[in-house]
Amino acid sequence: MGSDVFEISVNFIKLVAIFLLMVQLVPLLVWVERRGSAYIQNRFGPNRVGPLGLTQLLADAVKFLFKEEFIPGEGRRLIFLLAPVVALIPGALAFGSIPLSAPIQVEAFQWLGQTWGPYNFPFQSFQFDIGIVFVLGVSSLAAYALLMAGYGSENKYSLFGALRASAQMISYELALGLSLVGILLIYGTFDFAEMVTLQEGPLTLMLFGTEYTLSFLPNWGIFYQPLGFVILFAALFAETNRLPFDLPEAEAELVAGYHTEYGGLKMNMFYIGEYGHMLVASGLISTFYLGGYNLPFVTVDQIREFFVQSQGFTLTNASLAASFLLHLVFMAKVFLLLWIFIWVRWTLPRFRYDQLMDLGWKTMLPWALGNTIVTAVFILWMRSV
Amino acid sequence: MGPGEHHCHSGVYSLDAIGIGVDMQEAILFYILGSLAVVCSLGVLLSKNPVSSALYLALTMVGLSFVFVGLDAFFIGMVQLAVYAGAVMVLIVMVVMLFDLKKEEDSFSPGFFGNGLKVILGGFMVGAIASVIAYSTEMILSAPKITQAEPVDMSVKALARLLFTDYVVAFEILGVLLLLVAIGAVALSRIPGGTHADD
Amino acid sequence: MTELIPILVLLAFVAVFGVIIVIVSGLFGPKRRQSEITKAPYECGLPGIEKDNSKIPIKYYLTAILFILFDIEIIFMYPWAITYTDFIAEGQGIWAFSAMAIFILVFIFGLFWEIKSRALDWD
Repeated sequence: MGSDVFEISVNFIKLVAIFLLMVQLVPLLVWVERRGSAYIQNRFGPNRVGPLGLTQLLADAVKFLFKEEFIPGEGRRLIFLLAPVVALIPGALAFGSIPLSAPIQVEAFQWLGQTWGPYNFPFQSFQFDIGIVFVLGVSSLAAYALLMAGYGSENKYSLFGALRASAQMISYELALGLSLVGILLIYGTFDFAEMVTLQEGPLTLMLFGTEYTLSFLPNWGIFYQPLGFVILFAALFAETNRLPFDLPEAEAELVAGYHTEYGGLKMNMFYIGEYGHMLVASGLISTFYLGGYNLPFVTVDQIREFFVQSQGFTLTNASLAASFLLHLVFMAKVFLLLWIFIWVRWTLPRFRYDQLMDLGWKTMLPWALGNTIVTAVFILWMRSV
Repeated sequence: MGPGEHHCHSGVYSLDAIGIGVDMQEAILFYILGSLAVVCSLGVLLSKNPVSSALYLALTMVGLSFVFVGLDAFFIGMVQLAVYAGAVMVLIVMVVMLFDLKKEEDSFSPGFFGNGLKVILGGFMVGAIASVIAYSTEMILSAPKITQAEPVDMSVKALARLLFTDYVVAFEILGVLLLLVAIGAVALSRIPGGTHADD
Repeated sequence: MTELIPILVLLAFVAVFGVIIVIVSGLFGPKRRQSEITKAPYECGLPGIEKDNSKIPIKYYLTAILFILFDIEIIFMYPWAITYTDFIAEGQGIWAFSAMAIFILVFIFGLFWEIKSRALDWD
């Protein structure tokens, strides 16, 4: 985690801060969902508690704290109680590996009579060179929270809801994994930070062996793989159990699906897990296809240079300022995608379960395969001439 | 590990400063993660509820994938997580949840002696496997050595190169094997009455 | 190994955070006597129906097995994807492409056979 006390403590604080960022964004998201859905449905959302209804979620959390605790049945207590904890873990781990901004480069400085060397802090909880395979592996663990919740509830409707939810999740993990192969062919690396660095500046294409630069478009992945973007976006809707794929939680069919028997803060933890997955999904899409934390047309070095030249910052402060600015850019992209998630939820009707499974296996998987093959052929053709 | 360099071999340097070298840190991490995996696998043997056994097994697979990562095999560790813990164990847990297991739960022999007997029998199996491994490793190690000239590259790109140049035939046969498994699974599930058995 | 430690630290932190919330959520609420009725499973307010041992729908099993197989095939595509441009730069592009093309052909054959044989139909 680091080579001396300063680095270790900064890394540890960063780890905790990113996780708490994810947890703190959830009430904000729920507020946006309730107000946004209300405006879509031509009514007011919560607007009485606090300014614009913003502290409604705080009031709800306090209310949840004082709810009575039900534990259905005694045979499966531990599984019932552990399921909400397991629901938090995949989202938190995956969110930690997505770069939220440019790395902060700290020059050597003097403090307490000792020289602390130059550091490079990546703006993510951990960085390794297998970024996307890690996210894929960890999000396939999300099925366990559903299964444990459904089984621990000792309610056969919860169990069937959990089974259908996990069958849906695993079906769409295939389309998800396959749609990413196309973008990996283009970038040639698993590492998120490198992928984002490759999306700097204006669009450069390699056609028939020569490079062309289209300076009116940013160098984002969406221009290389539009079909992959669409498939990934749709598959991520299904992975996070959002409408139009939220049959496992559908009220008319299975009450509330796998979290029927949960109340109070434990149910809130399932919501943190679901919105955490939404955050990870938005982060993934913006890292692969929308350039991550990059401002369009400028590279990160140019931004740091700007701060050094025009404002006269030191290198450390320029790096901090650039990272802060790019973090806002990243969050803007993520919020745009989250708003699209919410907007789609309250606009489209729900799929029937067999339509859903047909879509996953018979439509998305062949299209994603076709995308991969076409991309491979194209790259072979364009680069070997 | 073995002959050749490590890929991104660095430990926690502050622990290095107080005398716990990098190799020892890796060993400590390996022993901690390995013993956690062993404890979870004991949970598979000793839990009354078969669904709990399946969940403990899933946890063991997760522990194994961390052991792989601790040995610097990142890609294999994550593949273990995605395929074993995320696909195979999900299948097993799903299927075990669907059965009605009252008879199995009643026939479970609880208590100290029952558990102890299970652990001892498990220990016998582990001992047998370990002795076979030790014997065959000794046979390999006592064979005339082939010295390796250049260090081994352990990254994913090197793995891909090996896969598509030296072992490409095995790779294609693997594809055919997976197809056979798919056909076999569908054929086995064709009980009289079709796959649309009553829900 | 360096990168494993932050993962384990975060995992431990999230697990402790979750467990604390679960424990806390049980502490503050009113403690009422739990009777048979409150422990019964929730079925939209109607009196519960006895759990009958219905037949196991085989669709779940089949979906999960096919998921395992296709997941393994997709995992094989990942190392290929990142070394594809390297192979092309070395002049072995056709070889890399055809090696994977045969694999994908087997995959496509398997997928279309599944679809044709109505193994993936949910009614």
